[in-house]
Amino acid sequence: MKKLRKTDIIKIEDFLWEIPKSFREDMLVPARVLCFETLLDDILEDRSLNQLVNVATLPGIQKASFVMPDVHEGYGFPIGGVAATKLPDGVISPGGIGYDINCGVRLLTSTLKIEQIQDKLEELSKEMYAQIPSGMGKGGDIHLSAEEMNQVLTTGAEWAVANGYGVEEDLAYIENNGKLVEADPDMISEMAKKRGTSQLGTIGSGNHFVEVDYIEEIYDEEVAKAYNLEIGQVVILIHTGSRGLGHQVATDYIRLMMNAMPKYNIKVPDRELTCVPLNSVEGEQYFKAMCAAANYAWCNREVISAEVRTAWKNIFQENAGELKLLYDVAHNIAKIETHTVNGTRENLVVHRKGATRAFGPDFEELPPKYKHAGQPVIIPGSMGTCSYILAGTKKSRELAFGSCCHGAGRRLSRTAAKKQVNAPVLKEKLKERGIYIEAGSFKGIAEEAPIAYKDVNLVVDTVHASGIAKKVAKLKPVVVIKG
Amino acid sequence: MKIRYLPHTADVRMLLEAESLQKLFVAGTKGMSNLLKEGICDHTFIFHRKTTIKTSASDFTNLLIDFLSDVLSHTYANNTIYCKINILSFKKYGIVAEIFGNEINEFDEEIKAVTYHEANVVKNAESNLWETCIIFDI
Repeated sequence: MKKLRKTDIIKIEDFLWEIPKSFREDMLVPARVLCFETLLDDILEDRSLNQLVNVATLPGIQKASFVMPDVHEGYGFPIGGVAATKLPDGVISPGGIGYDINCGVRLLTSTLKIEQIQDKLEELSKEMYAQIPSGMGKGGDIHLSAEEMNQVLTTGAEWAVANGYGVEEDLAYIENNGKLVEADPDMISEMAKKRGTSQLGTIGSGNHFVEVDYIEEIYDEEVAKAYNLEIGQVVILIHTGSRGLGHQVATDYIRLMMNAMPKYNIKVPDRELTCVPLNSVEGEQYFKAMCAAANYAWCNREVISAEVRTAWKNIFQENAGELKLLYDVAHNIAKIETHTVNGTRENLVVHRKGATRAFGPDFEELPPKYKHAGQPVIIPGSMGTCSYILAGTKKSRELAFGSCCHGAGRRLSRTAAKKQVNAPVLKEKLKERGIYIEAGSFKGIAEEAPIAYKDVNLVVDTVHASGIAKKVAKLKPVVVIKG
Repeated sequence: MKIRYLPHTADVRMLLEAESLQKLFVAGTKGMSNLLKEGICDHTFIFHRKTTIKTSASDFTNLLIDFLSDVLSHTYANNTIYCKINILSFKKYGIVAEIFGNEINEFDEEIKAVTYHEANVVKNAESNLWETCIIFDI
């Protein structure tokens, strides 16, 4: 593979760089990188931009392949990648969504201020850890029957609400109202269903977490008002996805597509980019299965919200108030959307792998109170640093198919992080700074230490400067629950 | 048979070497299971669970990845870590094997998937060993 150098990349604007189509003869479109120059040097350290070039070869790809400033090397697609292919025969690639289908983030807002909960943080962390099953392969308290599983896969977060694990009002504040109607449970294997039977309401491990934060800074008063956010307000972030069920769906369909690709005369430079036309039998089957797994993930985050609400009530009793959903948005998903390409409105399959939809004001799906503010975009930082709430903009549609970053982005391998971080010491240091961590293992704390991640401030500043989303509020963590 | 783990930005990269193709499958299973529960296959010799896996693919690289994916699926579906393989049939791009393991309460690592990325089963002309790299999405 031709090695990519900085000299191969053209600067378009301070925050936008391009690897031209001429870089490699199999590229169908250019590859574009959204980042400041300081981040670009870091990004060139791994092979994420070579992976971005590979993505630019996918049949039917439109405009450019994109990566966000939190990009890092993945397998097939880079993490932080966005690619849109044209319907009806543009391809769909499970690798462009990832194994954790509809991994995403939601944010709950409370009526309490940080000073009202300061002396109960340790107690709260222990209660949340007790209420929310987390960790490696852990199951939860819900064991779905075959019929219930099909209902979850078909109705998503609605199932949680209908079965006493959710709040009706939440549904309006979830991307697609927590349900993709194209979902078909019959497209999900029995093995995938078996793996999902007892994992609803669990966060899993790795970089998944539940975090209590407070709003440290507000950048946009008008949007913050629309989102009901105030300085000092306590909020809760939930980051997880479709668990083993989603992993199995991706595994099943990557294998199926690998065998189907020759039929469509498709060759890809990396096996993990395996793909088929969306309008093929295999493409339609995968899309319906992916939608069903996405519904499982939205249901999962709704059930976890119920566990958070229980913990919150147990600790704060009559002062607990209500925990309301600000928004729930996916960052590993493919959606059928309409965007303007070369002046023409086109129906596209937009793949976002480690990238967040960031639609601006007047987007018809948004709840009425966000219509003028734009879609909330939630960007978790690393454990112990900070996170952000942003608002989507019209420019995000013009630039990168209505997408922006999804987090800080890893810079150190887990092995390197474990070598550099003394987890018990880190836990104590964070406690001294008023951040309480409950985790399944010290290994998990070390792997997810702040040092392992890029500077989320720089990532978010790039996004803000590029205009694809605007900063609304900065969050500081006080409690972190990890697997 | 040699199993090594190398750093990867977000995931785990495993390098395998074995004297035969079949042993590469044995090494892959052991290497993956030792990740799921650190060192479990280095210490356990009596197994209480058995499953049969039948996998076919278009080449040996895909066969190994698909086989390990099947082992991983059974691992999570049955809460069982599999350490031992008894290969019943091994032909060009097809394997039937019994896998043996024990039920566990908790894993040390959660592997989302065995990926095809960077995997390439080849016989090294110099060492005369079969080898490949495997990246696990964790």
